[in-house]
Amino acid sequence: MKFFRSHVLVSVDPDCVAQGAHQIVDALNDELVAQGLIDEIQVLETSRLGDPARFGPDLVVYPENVHYANVTVDDVPFLVEEHFLKGRVVEKFRAKETVVTDDELGAPKAKEVRIVLRNCGKIDPHNIEEYIAEDGYQALAKALTSMTPDEVIDEVLRSGLRGRGGAGFPAAKKWKLCRDVPDNPKYLTCNADEGDPGAFMNRRVLESDPHSVVEGMIIAAYATGASMGYVYCRAEYPIAVANLNIAIEQAREFGFLGNDIFGTGFSFELEVRMGAGAFVCGEETALIASIEGKRGEPRPRPPFPAVSGVWGKPTNNNNVETYAVTPQILLKGADWYASMGTEKSKGTKTFAIAGDVVNTGLIEVPFGLSLREVIFDVGGGIKDGKQFKAIQTGGPMGGCLVAEHLDLPLDYKALTKAGSMMGSGGLIIMDDETCMVDIARFFMEFTQEESCGKCTPCRVGTRRILDILEKICEGKGTLADIDRLEMLCEEVMKNSLCGLGQGAPNPVVSTLKHFREEYIAHVVEKRCPAKVCKALISYQIEPACTGCMVCARNCPVEAITGERRQLHVIDDETCIRCGICAQVCNFNAVAVLS
Amino acid sequence: MTKPKISSDWMAGCSGCHMSLLDIDERLLEIAELADIRATPITDLKEPDESGVDVGILEGGVNNSSNEEVAHRMRSRCKILVAFGDCAVFGGVPALRNMCGTQEALQRAYVDIESNDDSGKIPSDPELAVMSNVRALHEVVPVDLHVPGCPPDPDVIYYVLKELAEGRMPEIKDENLHWH
Amino acid sequence: MINLTINGKQIEVEEGTTVLNAARQNDIKIPTLCDHPNLTPYGGCRLCVVEVKGMRVPIASCTLPASNGMVIETETDSLKKSRSTILSLLFSERNHFCPFCQVSGGDCELQNSAYDEHMTHWEMQPQWTNFPVDTSHSRFILDNNRCILCRRCIRACAEMSGNFTLGVEERGSATIVVADTNVPLGESTCVSCGSCVQVCPTGALIDRSSAYLGHDKNMTVTRSVCRGCSLGCGIMIHTRDNRIVKITGDYENRNVGTLCETGRYKTLDEKRVRLTTPMKRVAGQLTATSWEDALTTLASNLTSNKNSIAALASTRLTVESMAAFKSLFADGLGNDVVTSIEEGRPTALQAKYAEANGESIEGKLDTLRTSDCVLLVGADLSETHEVASFYIKRNMPKGTRLIVVDPSENGMDDLANLNLKPKTGTDEAVFDALEAAIVKEGLARTDVKKSKVALDVAINACGLTEEDVVDAARMLAEAVAPVIVYGKGISAFGGEAVMDAMVRVAKLTGASDSERRGILSVKGEANSLAAAQLKMDVPFEVKNRKVAYVAVGDDYVTKRLLKALEDVPFVVAQASYESALTDRADLVLPVNIWAEEAGHALNTEGRLQFAEAALTRPEGVRSNFDLLNEVAKLLNVKLNEDWRTALTARTSVVEIEM
Repeated sequence: MKFFRSHVLVSVDPDCVAQGAHQIVDALNDELVAQGLIDEIQVLETSRLGDPARFGPDLVVYPENVHYANVTVDDVPFLVEEHFLKGRVVEKFRAKETVVTDDELGAPKAKEVRIVLRNCGKIDPHNIEEYIAEDGYQALAKALTSMTPDEVIDEVLRSGLRGRGGAGFPAAKKWKLCRDVPDNPKYLTCNADEGDPGAFMNRRVLESDPHSVVEGMIIAAYATGASMGYVYCRAEYPIAVANLNIAIEQAREFGFLGNDIFGTGFSFELEVRMGAGAFVCGEETALIASIEGKRGEPRPRPPFPAVSGVWGKPTNNNNVETYAVTPQILLKGADWYASMGTEKSKGTKTFAIAGDVVNTGLIEVPFGLSLREVIFDVGGGIKDGKQFKAIQTGGPMGGCLVAEHLDLPLDYKALTKAGSMMGSGGLIIMDDETCMVDIARFFMEFTQEESCGKCTPCRVGTRRILDILEKICEGKGTLADIDRLEMLCEEVMKNSLCGLGQGAPNPVVSTLKHFREEYIAHVVEKRCPAKVCKALISYQIEPACTGCMVCARNCPVEAITGERRQLHVIDDETCIRCGICAQVCNFNAVAVLS
Repeated sequence: MTKPKISSDWMAGCSGCHMSLLDIDERLLEIAELADIRATPITDLKEPDESGVDVGILEGGVNNSSNEEVAHRMRSRCKILVAFGDCAVFGGVPALRNMCGTQEALQRAYVDIESNDDSGKIPSDPELAVMSNVRALHEVVPVDLHVPGCPPDPDVIYYVLKELAEGRMPEIKDENLHWH
Repeated sequence: MINLTINGKQIEVEEGTTVLNAARQNDIKIPTLCDHPNLTPYGGCRLCVVEVKGMRVPIASCTLPASNGMVIETETDSLKKSRSTILSLLFSERNHFCPFCQVSGGDCELQNSAYDEHMTHWEMQPQWTNFPVDTSHSRFILDNNRCILCRRCIRACAEMSGNFTLGVEERGSATIVVADTNVPLGESTCVSCGSCVQVCPTGALIDRSSAYLGHDKNMTVTRSVCRGCSLGCGIMIHTRDNRIVKITGDYENRNVGTLCETGRYKTLDEKRVRLTTPMKRVAGQLTATSWEDALTTLASNLTSNKNSIAALASTRLTVESMAAFKSLFADGLGNDVVTSIEEGRPTALQAKYAEANGESIEGKLDTLRTSDCVLLVGADLSETHEVASFYIKRNMPKGTRLIVVDPSENGMDDLANLNLKPKTGTDEAVFDALEAAIVKEGLARTDVKKSKVALDVAINACGLTEEDVVDAARMLAEAVAPVIVYGKGISAFGGEAVMDAMVRVAKLTGASDSERRGILSVKGEANSLAAAQLKMDVPFEVKNRKVAYVAVGDDYVTKRLLKALEDVPFVVAQASYESALTDRADLVLPVNIWAEEAGHALNTEGRLQFAEAALTRPEGVRSNFDLLNEVAKLLNVKLNEDWRTALTARTSVVEIEM
């Protein structure tokens, strides 16, 4: 029996083989032979050690348990000499493990109250038992075995829970409307399409705590009388889809879904339906059309989905968050939930903070917190020492709020009254280097792309509005264009078939209201005060220039000329306004003018 | 009271609208009694009065810098500007060129045309008018009255001239309104 | 009933009425574009928006159900502004160039809407980019530059013909109307029914055969009945200067505007040469002659061969003409071979069955239009009676199921939920098998305990599998309104036993009961049923006959018929067009075509419809009816003028609606 003093295990995972693992094995053997160590060191092939993309080709040496990564054939002789002859670990080849951090959702920040997000990052979403360990499915058991559907509705009604999708309609009131329609079968749908740019609250819940949504849906099905449910999840959330499917399967195995749940006679089946890249399918009637296999286009209301939805049958549609919080309300009681928030907006809401703040990511706070608190306390204030300019709430259908609104509470009514809306919870904070005309253009570009095309005002109107905004940003706008812009916005808002068209002009209207002078500057003076619109800015090198030539070397279009140690000059006509010269200049000598 | 002054001019048009104007036949004499017909492309005076006229009528679309000058000149010298005929109101037949683009049209007309030998080239002289997209008159100057038609009906033209001559704004609707 | 107020006027409408229809019923005009009274409301153009008290935004009236206490305003300044803005947006979306469009000047609903809003110009100019023009189809052109995306064509393709060829691709302002998966229209699944062209509000869908031949205001429109097949669809014939410009569907008839390619276009495709003068064979040559001479020749020939005439008339002739024909040659001149061009093949079997049993077993076409399960036996509807296939196809997405029984290839095979291909000539066994399966599975609606034939015996006989037969039986039995549709495959080849078996299955499945008749046959051409009722349904036996009188009218002559006439000494052709028949004939009498003669048509469901003449016949040409009367007079035969009674002399297989 041969005794080796060391074993070298080389990963021959296919991805490592592709990177030359077999050649490493051969090289090791050859070198060991050459060094006369072949009888003392055994080279073995093993399966995956670390992520081949980061570490491959890699190997581990026992008994020291040293993991070497990114080894090449040329490295082998050095490695053998150092490690096996001289007995020294070669640090520079050692694999550096990284610590996994949750950038999106760290520890709760000040003023946060995590109810919807309580399990996220803490439990394994693939393991139903971990959910159950956190009081999972207790609420379902309570509802099915000790409450009638009407009692469930009453409890949720008393809690003041409003639909978290954006409209803010009292959730239980909607359930009751559906329940009261004398028609069968009834359907339940969950809007997991989350299309707002910058919104990822639902995604987090679906990926990290899918069972909360499943349990919430089963309870809502019990309350409304639905027998079949669909989670309409956007295809751009593949992990959410996968985790939902796993969760549903496990829930079925444990008897929480299917026939005669808990032996109470109540039956409910749940299925995931994927979206196909259409923001408009977040609108409930378009969502229903998509579930039916038809083109995702909204339908006229009335009739409302509660009366005639999926396949013409009564359907209740709610957002992910509305369902996710329902079990907690039943477990801890309506009074508990209603003790948080404001008079008209009870409970907590998840928000996705994005933009020019220090702490971006997900938070969950009770309603009533002021915008100031959210931006400066929870959000950590504007980053890079810049000034606050505006905050966009409610996504592409929302409006922007400015400094005068900072003390407004996060509350459905307050935000709507101020000209914006709560929406699904995306908050985009903008600093003073943001051009509000460009922001309006950005949002209009989005809604134009996503317009389904069924109705004239949205289909053509948003196109025309976008044309004018682009014209203004290119410096070709006139005052007559602003008049036409206002007229078109009003008409599109009035006459569109669904919320997408009705809300699409909101960013334009609210930026015109609060930042009209920026529009006028673009149109009359052909100037972009925030220095963003490329056609209206120019780059100029100031006297602080030391002639170091760094900018000239980095300019992608060779627009900068200058001798060493001489003031450099940018040729305005060639310059494409990419801003690289300003970035690389160590002397702050490149100024942006408008 | 002095008679109101009416002047007309044309840009990228076929002159059909002015021919239709002549088709009001003897009613032209009635209009001449009510109003002072000043410069038109089919009479002697060629420019609208520098001192200004009351009604300015323009036929044809705006197709190059020379047309733009005519449009601006008429706009600045008249109180009520009338876009006369489909070309002035909508862009008309010349505007079909917008579908293929000015460059392609110039190439086809000056170089690839069947009546040329190989030496055709697109003329370029700063003195020549610069081509642009064909535009409706209201895209260039504010217009007070649009009289569509290809050409507008003589009866409609008579009605419009009479109303304007008598100091009223004509109503283009019902039987007076047709775009074709 | 619902009570609501529109513009201050109190009105009352039935429950389920939309606000738009409520307004229309009370002479209040609300402008529309995407709406069409015979298509499902769409709610997309937004031109019909109205202000509803209590609602935040204007609502499209075409899709808004009227409810009690609603207060609606339709003429506020805000709405007027909205309408002209929406129209401006539409004009700016594509390239609407009015001067050379064939509907500009009265027939364009978009232009007319603009005129109604007193629009003298466009607020926003067009795109000036080229949208695709599809000229690949032989009958239509799709010009996307003129399209306003109202989706009427798509709805018509779905709801009228049920063909579902047209759809849209992309979304938003990139949306485009396409055929199938965006293939050229000429290479698509389009069946050229023309429904899309009929409903298009602008000039986006152009009908090649009628474009630029005049506006609606230049046309004379005559309400008539199609003679293309036995369905007798209602049509509107548009003529100008005594020429048919186009044929459209009659929305007020039971086909509600739906037509097929045959009905809409076949007449316009006509290439045959018109006969304009009588001709007589003299010394082997056909030479033109006068009517006097022709009729004298005819009279003398018929008189000397009185009982030796074989007479055949096309079923495209009017009922009056056919009745006169029968009266003349059978009753007047005492001949037994007086028949139609169909020779009873599509009708004789069921006609005899009805007569023998004294019962009208067939129902109306409405039974087919509202059926949720169709058993189609021995007929390829997509070939012969295409509109009937539309009635089935357009209901299939709503759940209507189709079972096709045909030993050979059938045009509806691909659509069928179940395809049964039995051995040829075993239709009786197929019905026996269905009956047996229904009884065996306990699905019978009546209390029949035993089937006539055992399941395995019947299956053996027809060559189907038990699984298929049971599936079919189940489908029929589970349906609420099943119907059996059969055609020449049964009538021409089956016997009485097949009819018995069919009726048994109909009763068992509930297709037919005391209140309902769930059996239909499509029979043959236009007046197929009239031929059956007039007993003009015998084979055209010419052996030993001296004269063959063929009143073919504008119909086509088969090779078989020509061959039969080879040895007949004297052949008379009463025809509209030159053909091999007229080349062979000894005497040619020119008559009018279908659209030139007023008269009745009796369709397959027993409906008697009167069709006006839409054209004036050419000089020198007689009407079929007048000619037959003239001949009768010459022969001193008194014709029976009471054709109505003649039609009901025998029990009809389907009740005749006078």
